[in-house]
Amino acid sequence: MSEVSAAATQEVCSVKVGDTLYGIPIAHVLEILGKPATQPVPLAPYFVGGLVHYRGEVLTAVSLRRLLGMEPAKTPEDVLVFENSDGLFGLFVDSVGEVLHVAPADHEPNPATLEARRQALFDGAWKLRDRLLVSLDPERLDPVRLAAAFPA
Amino acid sequence: MDDLTREFLLESQEGLDRMERCLTDLEARPGDMNLLADIFRSVHTIKGTTGFLGFSRLEALSHAGENLLGLLRDGKLAANPDIISGLLALMDMLRGILRNIETIAGEGESQQEDAAMIARLEALQRGEATAAAVTEPALAAAVVAAQPAAPAKKRRAPSKRPPSRRPPSRQAAGHPQSPQGAPPPEQPGAAGPPGVIGAASPGREPESEERSAPAVAAAASIPARPASEAPPQAEAAATSASGTADSTLRVDVELLNRMMNLVGELVLTRNQILQTTSADPNFALLGRRLDMVTADLRESVMKARMQPVSHVFSRFPRLVRDLSLALDKRVRLEMEGQETELDKSLLEAIRDPLTHSVRNAIDHGIEAPEARIAQGKPAEGLVRLRAYHEGSHVIVEVHDDGAGMSIERIRQKAVERQLVTPQRAEQMNEREILQLIFLPGFSTAEAITSVSGRGVGMDVVRTNVEKIGGKVDVDSRSGRGTVLRLRIPLTLAIIPALIVRSRGQNFAVPQASLTELVHLSAGETDSRIEWLENAALYRLRGRLLPLVFLDRLLQQPGRERAAACDIAILNADGRRFGLVVDGLADPEEIVVKPLAAVLREIGFYAGATILGNGEMALILNPGAIAQNANVSLSSESEVDAGDERRADQQDYLLVETGSRRAALPLQTVVRIERIPRSRIEHAGALPVLRFEGELLPLDDTALSLVDLAGDPEAQTTVVVCRDGQRHVGMTVSQVLDVAGGRQLEEAGTGAVAEGLTLLEERVTSIVRLAAIPAIESVPAQSAEAFPLPAEATP
Repeated sequence: MSEVSAAATQEVCSVKVGDTLYGIPIAHVLEILGKPATQPVPLAPYFVGGLVHYRGEVLTAVSLRRLLGMEPAKTPEDVLVFENSDGLFGLFVDSVGEVLHVAPADHEPNPATLEARRQALFDGAWKLRDRLLVSLDPERLDPVRLAAAFPA
Repeated sequence: MDDLTREFLLESQEGLDRMERCLTDLEARPGDMNLLADIFRSVHTIKGTTGFLGFSRLEALSHAGENLLGLLRDGKLAANPDIISGLLALMDMLRGILRNIETIAGEGESQQEDAAMIARLEALQRGEATAAAVTEPALAAAVVAAQPAAPAKKRRAPSKRPPSRRPPSRQAAGHPQSPQGAPPPEQPGAAGPPGVIGAASPGREPESEERSAPAVAAAASIPARPASEAPPQAEAAATSASGTADSTLRVDVELLNRMMNLVGELVLTRNQILQTTSADPNFALLGRRLDMVTADLRESVMKARMQPVSHVFSRFPRLVRDLSLALDKRVRLEMEGQETELDKSLLEAIRDPLTHSVRNAIDHGIEAPEARIAQGKPAEGLVRLRAYHEGSHVIVEVHDDGAGMSIERIRQKAVERQLVTPQRAEQMNEREILQLIFLPGFSTAEAITSVSGRGVGMDVVRTNVEKIGGKVDVDSRSGRGTVLRLRIPLTLAIIPALIVRSRGQNFAVPQASLTELVHLSAGETDSRIEWLENAALYRLRGRLLPLVFLDRLLQQPGRERAAACDIAILNADGRRFGLVVDGLADPEEIVVKPLAAVLREIGFYAGATILGNGEMALILNPGAIAQNANVSLSSESEVDAGDERRADQQDYLLVETGSRRAALPLQTVVRIERIPRSRIEHAGALPVLRFEGELLPLDDTALSLVDLAGDPEAQTTVVVCRDGQRHVGMTVSQVLDVAGGRQLEEAGTGAVAEGLTLLEERVTSIVRLAAIPAIESVPAQSAEAFPLPAEATP
């Protein structure tokens, strides 16, 4: 990646959930919370992972695992903080990795064979040298949108 | 929008608000020159600035208004309902244009309307200027007879005034302060035809009085006001409104919200620090200082957000006036406690419910004048708005002396609209029937008027008030009137709550709805919780209380019911139920954090909070839980029983002090706290306790006798009580129960024995809270203890 000229590249924050590597444009990420204390919310929509304390506010955090229908994580998760129309929200991921530089030229849309739910969540993928980096658009993970898109 | 325009909008809106207040006052006191000057100033300011900013519509309109006001101010015209209607209409139009400027960044086009308004104002100038010259008795009669709602009328009576006193032409009137104007208004001669002044509120005063004493009214000029009108605070408000500008500062509400949030954070941090134990004695000292400073700071910021309810009340004179004209009723508005302060956001939130209630009072409550006279009531109806503090709440009452609500009719309508079954309706008592008006879809109006009666009414009032943690209550006597009571918390942001635990998770229950707590030990749960099919019940003092299991309600996974549990007995808007939880943690003052929309929809949560220990907790919404569990107002019989009992019985908190039993009237009890004995300090000989930033005089007699040499770290129970305006505390060794006590009468004389009551079949003395001396009156070396009223020997 490093040989690509800086002007044409985009910085994405890489996160891991299960075995898959995801990338989120770093410009959208307000903050990364390392393994914060969380509070489950009984009766919440299935995609809500819980509440997280963030700078005096109580954030609702979406769980990528739950969204993808995966088993709950066995170890504490990291949280990314994003902004949406309703204020702020969080996203639970297994772990946050390094910042990668990707080129728009390496980006391809979702394959037609992808399962419908993932079609709606993923925003294509970047072809890294040795693996794929699934692109996530925080807008699609906005709990307000999710509630409308995937009613319980 | 540039800063200048924004400033102008703010200023103009304030000016118009003030003007509206003054105009309605003016109707009551038409001769008040201060009011006139104030109104004139508002309009003049708008006109001056608009010309500068290039808002031509505003300029032309305010100019026309200014001309008319100039005549009023100079005493060449006397205010009458027509003029006031005209000025109010002008004001509405100015408001509309200001709104346009704010939203579409332009004044908007409306040539015709403008011209019509200007013509109307000019007609008012001409019409009344000439009319003013008519001989007094005739005029008084003419004005009294005038239809208040009629459009500007012109009188053809020839002007007897010299030319210089004619209304100035439009150009000349642009400078109404010019020296060629009329003599100063204070001079009796210029105070306008006194007959007009008196008669301008038609029908409010006996006519004969006006005619017989015009000279008196003229001489009295400004101070003269109709006896029944203009409560003193209205005048005080008017003066303060125009005089506070220098010492105040306009602050963005956003900034205040941010400050409130930060203070909330500080409170949390303080809680965490206070829970951290440290061996260093300095730390404890600093912690306590931090505690006090935080409390003070919190109070100050909260105060900064407070606004007097007059901000909301001020619109009602106008509303009442317009409505009573529209409905052909005669209504007098009285307002009390306008200085009572409330958090700004709450004030905004009660604006609509309150408006709705006042509309209802006039539309449904107050009868037509003829009907009132037929019933022997004064023709003029009374709507009274009253605001006052009660504990940590502000009560706003809307009272009318109208027809009241017919219990039978409500019952009938409710059945008709299938809101209750006929059988149920028959069993309900008056109080329950009255509560039915808050159900969605309920309206008893015979005809849908433009004012109310669309069936969206009281339920919206209740929803809005409950949304901010308040309560609505109604009381009505057929033929005598209705009182609607809104109970509003002082502030939204920080509330006292009890932390409960369910399946290892924290939940906060607002103290406001908590009435008592019952602990069931492992052995008791099975026997004390009774089942009627699948409905769990608990026998509370002989009455069945429905139970809701929090873990089942929230579908929390986990083991079967723990052996021991606690029941939090909650009262949510008259629905009483017991919430069964696994355990109780401490009561805490919590900062309410809003939840995301997706979680709000669940309904059971009113918000979330961060506890002193750093953990988070969801705040439960008892009203929603009660509704979900179908706890109805009716299924709980204790409420009724309480009402029936109230006549000769009162609830007491039964406590044990030392070896004695004593009773505290339950309604005076504010809180029961467990504190270490070391926290009790002494001011002179008087034991005191610092409680929520205040100093609480304490009755510590009973306990100091018992464990005088006790361990300072031992916990003691303090019952905090309200005694009139102050709070006092009393240390007790044990809180035994809450029970209803009956009055005792002395044998033979039948006199009620004061200070004694029959509690649980034992004569028990009632604690005299007034006997606890005030802090400032404590003599430095008073060695005398404050004796607890001795228990009577039966």
